[in-house]
Amino acid sequence: MTDHVARLYAGALALLVFFVVWAVVAAKPWAEAGETDPRMAAIERREQRLMRESKRVNKVVQRRFAKYQRRLARRKREIAEAEAAAAAAAAAVPAAPATSGVAPASSAPAAAAAPPPVAVTAAPPVTSTGSS
Amino acid sequence: MSTALATPTAPHEVAHPRSHRGGRGVQRLAFAAMGTRVEALLEAPRSGATRAALARVREEFERLEGIFSRFRRDSELSRLNEAGSIEAGPDLRAVVELALAARERTAGRFDPTLHDALVAAGYDRTFHELDEHAPARPAPDPRNARDVSVTGRRIELGPGVRLDLGGIVKGYAADRCARQLAPLGPCLVNAGGDLAVAGTRSEGPWPVAVDVPNGPLTLAVAAGGLATSGRDRRRWRKRGEERHHLIDPATCRPAEGGPLTVTVAAPSATDAEVAAKSIFLAGERAEHEAELLGMPAVIVSADGRARLVGGLT
Repeated sequence: MTDHVARLYAGALALLVFFVVWAVVAAKPWAEAGETDPRMAAIERREQRLMRESKRVNKVVQRRFAKYQRRLARRKREIAEAEAAAAAAAAAVPAAPATSGVAPASSAPAAAAAPPPVAVTAAPPVTSTGSS
Repeated sequence: MSTALATPTAPHEVAHPRSHRGGRGVQRLAFAAMGTRVEALLEAPRSGATRAALARVREEFERLEGIFSRFRRDSELSRLNEAGSIEAGPDLRAVVELALAARERTAGRFDPTLHDALVAAGYDRTFHELDEHAPARPAPDPRNARDVSVTGRRIELGPGVRLDLGGIVKGYAADRCARQLAPLGPCLVNAGGDLAVAGTRSEGPWPVAVDVPNGPLTLAVAAGGLATSGRDRRRWRKRGEERHHLIDPATCRPAEGGPLTVTVAAPSATDAEVAAKSIFLAGERAEHEAELLGMPAVIVSADGRARLVGGLT
């Protein structure tokens, strides 16, 4: 084997060794297998925080909704009592001809209730209505 | 004008019975309250109980005026307008709820939150104290939110919202007092034109004169309520400009055009007041609206013609 052939083998070997070393260094075999990207860790932390916050918000909403339902039930009871009292008051009015008794001040649509009996008359007025 | 009243009585005085039938006559009490004239008529024997019942009507009006006057700084309404949120008494809550229900069913034509618009129009003190030359204030923006909520005993007003319940409270008071008097006999309570009737008197339904330019026009009211809204009274001048007290919520300014007055019969004085104002604010469509609602009404147009609509004959 001549010197120049030996030099060729040595050069090729050196090149091979260089690429093997480069590949080993690039693979970072010294890095820990479980190590994660810090950005991923930050996202996971944020997700945990949001889950905790959503639980807190849900609790507040549920508490407020329960409070609203209690108030609604109480208000419905009050309305029922008021209606019962109004009905009792109306029943207490002595019976009078046909359409006697003033309707209680209602919040029902005026148009929904039957209009009261009213007609033009020639009788002398006892009082008057006008814009006030 | 057909405003001829049967023998008016002096304020704060129970009149003598005007008619007798089987010992019963119409007892009358007239007095001033809520910036207007109030009359209570009760067909019942003249007795201490009758006088006491009529006196309680005046007390009730005075009590309600103490709650609802926007001109009294110590009224519950003024405190609400000042604070924006208070634990309110039953009357203020009831009237606010009635007013909010009325606002909903009239699609906003009846609106209790027009206090500032009324003040801007110049109605910032009792009617008799109005000053034409007082500084003018700009009308509020009609696009502003007008939130009002009643939760339990608490009434809360949205930012910048103030209430004027002067219209509806007269009907409310008339209804209450008519209910109070009803056990003693047929009665009529008239609060400046917003009147409630309970029971038919022995001579028939209560005849009530309607203020029309080419009258006389008298309606026989057997039950319920009657009320008139119009721009023929409570007018004033502000810096040379004619103003009146009926504010159009769409503009926050006194309503322009439309009828001169609208008189409506309804199941109660409160409902009649709401309906009269709503139909008045319908403007040129007032007659059509009254017909559509089937509400007996007398509509006086700007040229002074009175029309009977809503099945009224």
